[in-house]
Amino acid sequence: MTDTTEVSAAPAAPIASSRRFTASIREALWGYVFIGPWLIGLAIFAAGPIIASLIISLTDFNLLRPEAVQFIGFDNYIKMASDPNVLNSLLVTVKFAIIAIPLTMVASLGLAVLVNSPKLFGRSIFRTLFYMPIQIPLVASTLVWIGFLNTETGWLNGILAVFGITGPDWINSTVWIYPALSLIGLWGIGNLMLINIAGLQSVPSELYEAARIDGAGPWKMFRRITIPLMSPILLYNLVISLIVTFQYFTQAYTMTNGRGDPDNATLFINLNLFREAFQFNRMGYGAAIAWLLFVIVLVLTLLLFAFARKRVYYAGGES
Amino acid sequence: MLQTRSGPRALIALIGVVALVVAACGGTTASTAPSAAAPSAAAPSTAAATPLPSPSVVIVTPEPVAAGPGPNGGVVVRWFIGLGAGTQPQHLGPEAEWVKSYNDSQKDVYIIMEIVDNSIAAAQLKTEIAGGNPPDIIGPVGIEGLNLFRDQLQDLAPLVESTGYTQPGVDPKLAEFFKIGEGGAQIGLPFAVYPSYLFYNKDLFDEADLPYPPSKIGEMYEGKPWDMEAVRQLGMKLTVDKNGNDATSADFDPENIVQWGFDVQYHDGSARAETAMFGAGSPVADDGKTAQVPDYIANGEKWFNAGIWTDHFIPTANQVASTLLNGGGEFASGNLAMNEGHTWFTCCITPTAPAKPFDFGFAAPPAYNGVTTAPLHVDTFSMLKTTKVADAAFKALTAMVASPELLTIYGAMPADPAKQDAWFDSIDKNFPGVKLDWDVVQEALGYPDIPNNQSYVPNYGEAKAAFQAFQNKVRTTPGLDMDAELAALKTTLQGIFDKPAN
Repeated sequence: MTDTTEVSAAPAAPIASSRRFTASIREALWGYVFIGPWLIGLAIFAAGPIIASLIISLTDFNLLRPEAVQFIGFDNYIKMASDPNVLNSLLVTVKFAIIAIPLTMVASLGLAVLVNSPKLFGRSIFRTLFYMPIQIPLVASTLVWIGFLNTETGWLNGILAVFGITGPDWINSTVWIYPALSLIGLWGIGNLMLINIAGLQSVPSELYEAARIDGAGPWKMFRRITIPLMSPILLYNLVISLIVTFQYFTQAYTMTNGRGDPDNATLFINLNLFREAFQFNRMGYGAAIAWLLFVIVLVLTLLLFAFARKRVYYAGGES
Repeated sequence: MLQTRSGPRALIALIGVVALVVAACGGTTASTAPSAAAPSAAAPSTAAATPLPSPSVVIVTPEPVAAGPGPNGGVVVRWFIGLGAGTQPQHLGPEAEWVKSYNDSQKDVYIIMEIVDNSIAAAQLKTEIAGGNPPDIIGPVGIEGLNLFRDQLQDLAPLVESTGYTQPGVDPKLAEFFKIGEGGAQIGLPFAVYPSYLFYNKDLFDEADLPYPPSKIGEMYEGKPWDMEAVRQLGMKLTVDKNGNDATSADFDPENIVQWGFDVQYHDGSARAETAMFGAGSPVADDGKTAQVPDYIANGEKWFNAGIWTDHFIPTANQVASTLLNGGGEFASGNLAMNEGHTWFTCCITPTAPAKPFDFGFAAPPAYNGVTTAPLHVDTFSMLKTTKVADAAFKALTAMVASPELLTIYGAMPADPAKQDAWFDSIDKNFPGVKLDWDVVQEALGYPDIPNNQSYVPNYGEAKAAFQAFQNKVRTTPGLDMDAELAALKTTLQGIFDKPAN
């Protein structure tokens, strides 16, 4: 795998390396110039609340009794370790992530390959159709899905019944709720699909031609050319999917009116955070859960980036 | 050979990753990221957090008023609407008109409105309180809303006394009903009352050739007491499968039910409210901290469990959510024969297209073990302790409580009996050709559940969530060991009561 940080040990290399290093720094600096305005906005409008939430997490701040706030150190964090709801909500989130993220990644890539195929008639129409669900508000689409998944009059079980299959209780089963939510999530993969299409179109066609001449079949080309060259895109999608999954809230809230039914199987960590902070008024504890969530997502993201150093191919060099 | 990253570059990269995560965690650009939008549940009355989807989140922020007196020279009083009724599209214009009219009519008080969608109103109000920017008046609000903000609410009794305020015609017991604040503080004044009783679909009774249920408490039904057992038997006769067999038939197919006999539609989704016809009681003992499951809940939930899974005359959660029952609008679907509901339910009876229209009536609440209980909902206005303009706020609050216009806007049944006939007439106009027996309603007022099914318990919100989870489990899980479940509920409640107050 090529890596721009890889340098030759030959004596003549230092000058070329120095130039490349300077160019790399320059490129990185320009990158920061471009994201500078956004970073300034982040610092001004987000840093304050972020710092405040960290401080609040060290207090027993109650929304209805702001005047009685007490500094309690790390008590909230210690309490989390033995709080069954926190542990359960973490487990729920991880269980869902294990199902939803691979499904989302594979489905969005598969769809992208399909609608990018030159043999497909009406590609633009299909791309539009697969992207369209993104335009529908999450609450509205979730309500539609509740009807679709209903055991009595829902279409999905109706279709299964045609094939003699008795559909499960998608929404009220602690087992089937995760496939159900993953299915709902598939409706919103239009963004990932578009990004994947862009990635597919950036793969140089001469590589495929050369491979074809060498006798490679479609699957081999996909595995040896498409996937490696798209790996930065796939990494990006994976990181975003991971973050979004750990923030999962709206669909779970809508389906259960924020209760985490059935039997706390949809008490995602973000929903638990919301309940503690805004429904049960324990803002200090809620802030601590928010920081736990942040740390988990940060660690997982860093792990992914560490993994990416060895597995992701950057044609223009790792930036 | 791989070159090791230099310290600054690694640091910059790390900062970049953290910024990415922070930004992603804070943003909503991704397709499946959480959004601020929540399912909207706007109750037709403050009396219940009814799961009626509203088309959009309503937020009307107060008009900017410079510090000091309002444009009419009066003290500025902020009125927070959203904990119950008042946020439906049809309310907004008339509310604004009422406020304008009131502000124009006098020079002591200048009311400004803040309207927040019901689904987010409680969180919004908490945030305003925490931010040191609370309103002066909240309402209309029911018992539950009062409980959520119990220790934030002003005791109105001293203001009532100092101003000599009275509500002629209103039963003084109703004023006592609002002495549910901390230390018995009176945190509301009687405004609207919503007794409960049975709504029944006359067409379905006619189709089954069954006599209508009694309209007077204590009357018999087919020679037997009108009680929950009678409701069970009647409900089974009115539950029909797709082949036309009722639930008493040996050929009845419980997998293909198309019509149900009974349900309690549109309450707060908790076992406490669902079973309130079975009596009254508190989930907390007199010491204020020991959990208990009152008999009415235990008996009621066992009755519901059998009705859902054994006798099949009460729909399961999936059946309630199905199109056969209008996605939760059960009675309006025309496929539910009897529904226990409160007066405010008259808002939601009219069948919506393409549901078939039907004739309906009111029936007496059934008894349980010889005792009739008609769960009561109320609406009121309340003041926050933090108000700096208590006198002006109280003046505005009494104007709201006395306003016939606001009663009309909210479709609220007046607490003052003298105003009730006019209200009944206004409801009758919504149902041409339907003869409603309002005597049922007035009689039911005499059988309230005391303590109320929304009475205060420690950590109210969390306890309610436990009751909701319990009810959901009963509605979704066949074969439950109800005694074990009730024992587990008690343990859960005790755990909640033992936590520091929220």
